Amino acid sequence: MTPPPAIAARSVSKSFGGVKALIKASIAVAPGSVHALVGENGAGKSTLIKILGGRIAPDEGTVQIGGIEAGGGGVAMARRHGIGTVFQELTLLPFMTVAENLTLGREPRNRLGLIDRAGLPLIAERQLADLGITHIDPRALAGDISLAERQIVEIARVILARPDIMLLDEPTSALVEREVAWLFGQIRRLRAGGTAIVFTSHRWGEITTIADEITIFRNGTDVGTFTTIDEDAAITLMTGRQLDAVFPVRAVPPVRAPILALRGARAEGVEPFDLAIHPGEILGIGGLAGHGHRAVFFGLFGAPRFMEGRIEIDGKATTIATPRDAIRARIALVPEDRKSEGLFLPLSVGANITLPILRRLSRLGLIQPGPERGLIDATIARLAIRTPDAAQPVGALSGGNQQKVLLGRWLQTKPRVLLLYDVTRGVDIATKHEIYDLISRLAGEGYAILFYSSDAEELAHLCHRVRIMRRGRFVAELAADELTAEAIVAAAMRESSAAAPHAA
Amino acid sequence: MPPDNSASLPRGGRLNHAIAQNIGLILAGAILLLAVFGFILIYGIAQQRLPGNFELTSTVNSATPLVFAAVGQSFVILTKGIDLSVGGVVDLANAMAAVTMGKSLGSALAWSVVILLVGAGCGLINGLLVGLGRLQPIVVTLATLSIFQGVAIRVLPQPGGAIPAGYTNLLVNPGAPYALIFIGLLALGWFALRRSRIGVDLYAIGNDEAAARAVGINVLRTKILAYMIDGTLAAAAGLFLAASATAGDATSGNSYTLSSIVAVVLGGVSLFGGRGSAIGAIAGAFITTLIVDILFFSHVNPLYQSFYEGAFLLFAVVAGRVIGGAIGRRR
Amino acid sequence: MKRFSIDSRRALYAFAAAVSLFVIGELVHPGFLGLASVESILVIASFVGLVAAGQCFVILIGGIDLSVPWVLNAAAIVLTTTSLGRNAGAPEALAAALGMGALVGAANGIGVAWFGIPAVVMTLAMNGIIEGLTLGLSGGFTCGACSSYAPPLIQGLAHDAFLGVPDALWLWLVVTVLVSGALGLTRFGRATYALGNNPRAAVLAGINVGRLTVALYAASGFFAALTGVMLVGFGGQASLGMGDPYLFTSIAAVVIGGVNILGGRGNYLGVAAGAVSLTVLVSVLLALNVPDYVRSIAYGVVILVLLLAYGRDQN
Repeated sequence: MTPPPAIAARSVSKSFGGVKALIKASIAVAPGSVHALVGENGAGKSTLIKILGGRIAPDEGTVQIGGIEAGGGGVAMARRHGIGTVFQELTLLPFMTVAENLTLGREPRNRLGLIDRAGLPLIAERQLADLGITHIDPRALAGDISLAERQIVEIARVILARPDIMLLDEPTSALVEREVAWLFGQIRRLRAGGTAIVFTSHRWGEITTIADEITIFRNGTDVGTFTTIDEDAAITLMTGRQLDAVFPVRAVPPVRAPILALRGARAEGVEPFDLAIHPGEILGIGGLAGHGHRAVFFGLFGAPRFMEGRIEIDGKATTIATPRDAIRARIALVPEDRKSEGLFLPLSVGANITLPILRRLSRLGLIQPGPERGLIDATIARLAIRTPDAAQPVGALSGGNQQKVLLGRWLQTKPRVLLLYDVTRGVDIATKHEIYDLISRLAGEGYAILFYSSDAEELAHLCHRVRIMRRGRFVAELAADELTAEAIVAAAMRESSAAAPHAA
Repeated sequence: MPPDNSASLPRGGRLNHAIAQNIGLILAGAILLLAVFGFILIYGIAQQRLPGNFELTSTVNSATPLVFAAVGQSFVILTKGIDLSVGGVVDLANAMAAVTMGKSLGSALAWSVVILLVGAGCGLINGLLVGLGRLQPIVVTLATLSIFQGVAIRVLPQPGGAIPAGYTNLLVNPGAPYALIFIGLLALGWFALRRSRIGVDLYAIGNDEAAARAVGINVLRTKILAYMIDGTLAAAAGLFLAASATAGDATSGNSYTLSSIVAVVLGGVSLFGGRGSAIGAIAGAFITTLIVDILFFSHVNPLYQSFYEGAFLLFAVVAGRVIGGAIGRRR
Repeated sequence: MKRFSIDSRRALYAFAAAVSLFVIGELVHPGFLGLASVESILVIASFVGLVAAGQCFVILIGGIDLSVPWVLNAAAIVLTTTSLGRNAGAPEALAAALGMGALVGAANGIGVAWFGIPAVVMTLAMNGIIEGLTLGLSGGFTCGACSSYAPPLIQGLAHDAFLGVPDALWLWLVVTVLVSGALGLTRFGRATYALGNNPRAAVLAGINVGRLTVALYAASGFFAALTGVMLVGFGGQASLGMGDPYLFTSIAAVVIGGVNILGGRGNYLGVAAGAVSLTVLVSVLLALNVPDYVRSIAYGVVILVLLLAYGRDQN
């Protein structure tokens, strides 16, 4: 008789408000195995992980640990069952140090029974080193380190607790290849030791590398579990339909004078650089996260402004000190974090769309409801935003649709330059395709697009040329035949003095 | 994993980190030193001699109630809450002390324990309403302020009552600054608490309550405890106040609500939670008391006192931000 | 009821609370619902409503105005001492009082927006500053002009009626329409809600956060001053400490009215209902002839009950 699964969900359902996030979903994970969950955004993967991890309770169905039904008890109880979870939203405490965060809940005590605060950094340093992590300063505040480092600390924290069951929700979203290799090394080690591991990812390459079993989710329930499956078949199952060639055909833009030119622009962590974008062009910015792209994008939008440099629009010098200046200069920025930097979740879809252009829609300060309505309806139609009506709070929409609302808002400002900063992050495959098509169309219509993505494939296939940044400097430019994902990654990592990745 | 290519902040020196993370406390200490200096200076000019034991003792004694109220307030503020009912608890403790303490030190001490428990009870009410009731702290404590003040007036409708002399000598001895011992014990208590489960959980909740919940911290229990400690310390403040005044007054504690908040802010504790130390609140309470003394001895028109206090508070906060910002940039 | 947004529902509850309290008042003290009685309660509520309007503006962006007590008091004193009780001096005095309120409010806004001072600290300090200046400049309120009356014009505004409805209530109606309209129908209102919901996103959406913040705090100062003017018109003379009860009452009215203390949600209609509820509550307690301390306790308990009923954090 086979041993019971380390952890299993049986016919679990969960609704939020009227939205059914999970509908009789089931999954079983054997000890000593890696089980991947794949599916579009909103398919229910994160909700399932939250339920398995004890963070929320299911409306129906049960969770079984080692074959025995687990009661409630929240995260603390889950911990006691040997479950360690890395949720999609990181839970590091920003004003506490890396060491404090790492040891949270398992602090070392001295003879008096008090926590040994002075010794925390050394202990943390040792624990991190044991896992092969030597570049993160345990004394730094968690809020001051990069997103990738935070993700690594959060993963390390879970690994150090020696879980019997490890749940990882999009653990690699902020990590680069080298760090992913490290994570997979740790996963393999834990698997060999009998730990059951569940993880979700949108990157197919990762899934095929590490997963022993793959469960595909669609619309809140599992639609199949496989030991191997081909990507197209998986996509079909995830979306319920066939998807054609991933990237739209790339048109060659006519040669025109640059619409935006930067000379000697300098920002925090970025050395002075020049940049020019042309109408109809999709200019990609590539490189590893944290190397200065954010400063470039946000500097162009005045949030905050460049420390030095000259900005020319259509050849005329322009000052961009604040986002309002940028909007007036017909520049639009779609940031990656739509929840904290883009949308106003409790406000309606309509209000979210029209906010920056209310002046156009108002007379003497009063908003004209007719014109506003017209604009909202047009936007919803143009981008195929799925929402019951425009008065719906935007927080109720799925991630992909929220991203569309944000895009819709910025397209309404009639920009000529569109700054797209990692806009496909955390977006499901089907919506990604819609966004690729949109970008392609917009370029065709004459928009100048600056595009950053952490996905080198996207850069290679969508952009006309790509400039790669490394440590705050532009180090390479690739176009035409040279423009491949491998070349982008190579250029980003060049000059690296590191040894080969040490996947333990 | 080999040093990755992500640009993270350069490894700071230990001193760098220690400064950056305790900047609030350091600034509070600096302001306290300036205030002490200022006091000695002004006193010296006004009285033609240096302040002596009497001045030290009376400063310490008048600061002590605020010290306790401020430390209590800081527990709640660290969790990103606020307690407007502090003044009401001080009133209640003061009123109860005047009415119950009787003639002997023994009965006074016994009743002190009861009064501290009542303070804890007030804190429990606040904690349950905030934690279980999911109501915002500012609003809850605004309502309970009214309730506690009402009870205080019921207990002692007119100023009066009596505190045994022995009790006064114990708590706020007029002869020497022995009250510092109580403050020292308070600091020690904080030191221990900071290194306990509840201390760490308190900071975690103030940093990010959702994240704290997600890692299994018992947010409800910690919040309730924070408000209970706050209530107990506010009651202690009331006891010290009663001992100082040697009689009771059910309204003299009202000003402690806002002055405890001022002391906490001067002490470098962030109103946004998760940052700062109760030791800072102690410094803040002394700073507040010294400012009043400085204004008194510099013969500033007492009608303008609030003006100077308000201006000082603004100046201290802005200066703190400017200096903190400058240090942050240099790292 | 699903068609109504959360905000509207909360405003509705606030109205329900007000009506229920009126009914309870009638039950314990027959005659409570008589025209004269209701009118006088509403006039008093209008004063709370005026202050609460200003408080509402700043609470909507997650701030608070603790300088209300002394801005109110100072405005009252400026009005009486500048006009010296004469109508000739009224326009000037009014401009001085209201202008002072707006300027002090703007200063608060500048402190919060430009210097990053937390609203609690900035407005608390400002309250002390204004208190000190008022006491100092008036010699502890012993100055010659200090015992002046408010100009008859203003006293009339507080006491007279037009078409059978007290002028004070007409004023409140106008304020209600303007404030609700501003919040619900204008760019300014949308920007306010956006800022209250997500400051970072508001900046990135091109909202001039600094200017908006200053405007909202200036409005709060203006309304506090306006309340001081109406109060001194009502009472005839200014006094020290006349503004103190209005701080916590204005905050309570805003919260009972369904405005989220963290900002971003709620509207002024609820706040107006909240102001009425609180005033009715106090009147009922007075009518019951209970001792001071019972009133104090009951006040706090009722607020808690109302909050638990519908004021919970929808986290």
